[in-house]
Amino acid sequence: MTSPLALGWRVPAVPDVLSTGILDCPRGRITEIAGPRSSGRTSLLHSILAAATGRDEFVVLVDATDSFDPCSASAAGVELSKLTWIRCNGNVEHAMRAADLVIHSGGFGVVALDLAEAAESALNRIPSTAWFRFRRAVETTPAVLVVLARRPLTKTCSALLVEMKRRHSLFTGEYPFLLLRGAEYELAPRKPVGGKHARWVASA
Amino acid sequence: MFACIHTPDARALARSFSPWVETVDEKTAVFSITPRQIAEKTLERIPHAQVAVAETVEAAILAARNFPGLTFLEPGDEARVLGSLPVDCLPPDPEIFQMFDLWGIRSLADFARLPENGVAERLGPRGLWMQRLARGALSRPLRPAIPAATYEESTELDYPLDRIEPLLFLIGRFLYDLCARLEAQSLASEALHLTFNDQERMLRLPFPTRDIKFLLKLVEHDIEARPLEEPVERVRLVILPTEPRRVQHGLFAPAAPEPERLELTLGKIRALVGEKNVKTPELRNTYRPGWSVSDSRLAFRYFRPPLEARVETKAGIPKKLWTRVCRGEISKIAGPWRTSGDWWRPDAWNRDEWDLELADGALYRIYRDGERWFVEGTYD
Repeated sequence: MTSPLALGWRVPAVPDVLSTGILDCPRGRITEIAGPRSSGRTSLLHSILAAATGRDEFVVLVDATDSFDPCSASAAGVELSKLTWIRCNGNVEHAMRAADLVIHSGGFGVVALDLAEAAESALNRIPSTAWFRFRRAVETTPAVLVVLARRPLTKTCSALLVEMKRRHSLFTGEYPFLLLRGAEYELAPRKPVGGKHARWVASA
Repeated sequence: MFACIHTPDARALARSFSPWVETVDEKTAVFSITPRQIAEKTLERIPHAQVAVAETVEAAILAARNFPGLTFLEPGDEARVLGSLPVDCLPPDPEIFQMFDLWGIRSLADFARLPENGVAERLGPRGLWMQRLARGALSRPLRPAIPAATYEESTELDYPLDRIEPLLFLIGRFLYDLCARLEAQSLASEALHLTFNDQERMLRLPFPTRDIKFLLKLVEHDIEARPLEEPVERVRLVILPTEPRRVQHGLFAPAAPEPERLELTLGKIRALVGEKNVKTPELRNTYRPGWSVSDSRLAFRYFRPPLEARVETKAGIPKKLWTRVCRGEISKIAGPWRTSGDWWRPDAWNRDEWDLELADGALYRIYRDGERWFVEGTYD
């Protein structure tokens, strides 16, 4: 199946999606999750990794700033034995090269590139051609390439862009005996246009 | 034909006939014997030994252990010759021997005469195996003790090599010979032990293989990651052998990375980001922050190392927070949660933790260690 565009181009239909219950990530495409701190970006990434490892797929996390927390990922259902964690100690260039090598290696269900805490100056140095290269490389594989960032980086190269917003935190109890119980987030799909907004609560 | 010698120095005697000798026990050895050796009647010249020649290994062992002198079992005549032996000559099995007593079976001939179906029904597979042994009809290949082979190649060069390409060419030739020898023995490699001059390095393989291109690529990545300190004059390569990998792929199993390709990719990434930065995480049985098992589904992100912070407190409760990445008034705060552990170790921890929300809505975990404050990470 193909869907015609106005200029006569034909874009191949997405063959399959990785359904997380919250989001359907198209395989062979780039999914981008953007938002500020505490907006639920990482919780959404963990749910994608959990969905993939739950299907016995192997996943890779390229962690540019060494931020990953195995405990909360495991609690979210990520099977850690199927996860390869690549720590780049803040070096975005290394993260991009590692992601490139992993995508070309093939065989993974999800390749996650976490640039959420990377320095703004380093993000500005990423050439836009890098995203086109990733898009070309991933489209021949059944992998989902997830890019996590503070702001959209991949421009036209992503097939799905979800903007995350924080709604409010869930504290229970009376001051001074409060307890952080969770947080409520909002998913706003920016690409494809017209997607439905969704609310999602992650409980502590 | 097989010959069996039953005497205290059986192994040494058997080795004078054939290099392929199966040592059954301290006094019994079996080997394959040629018609020419039988014709030369060399076996008859062995003094004070019980010797038997038969078409099957087990028949030769049974006869050598129980008949004096030299016994020659003609093919097809094993059951008749062995039949005169008592059933006690068979390997001990209390349950089956009890049945022999009940049935009144005294000799191997009595046992051999019983119908196979009936024996299988009443004595099971073990009984059937013993009946075939009693008939001299149990056939199995010889299992000779093969001396452990070493897979090693080394050379001393006429002039030192300081570039990687000619060195890899040399190692490639070593690998070609060694892998051919491994293949001849149906073995694979589990590790490569390389010695350049006096520098030793061990390459543990994630899976057994004898793929020369893959092994050579691994060596190349290792040399790139840990460059040689001086020009190489002596090279030695030892392969540690192991059983080859046997994998059956499922038709509907999800795609997984090819092991060879994955290892090469991870090798390149290790060279890029460092050996210890590529791994599969695992949780530890500890309450240490960052490694304990948690049931929180609220994702957490660490600042590694933790961010040093300045905190303004009122009656011991944090009210304002300043760090290089975040600052502001604290609108909600939960805590302190006092944690400590591993006091008997130098890396003990003892701290008070708070979960807080800044005025902009961002959630952080901060902690106080002594008089210093840190932001450990953010809930996301």
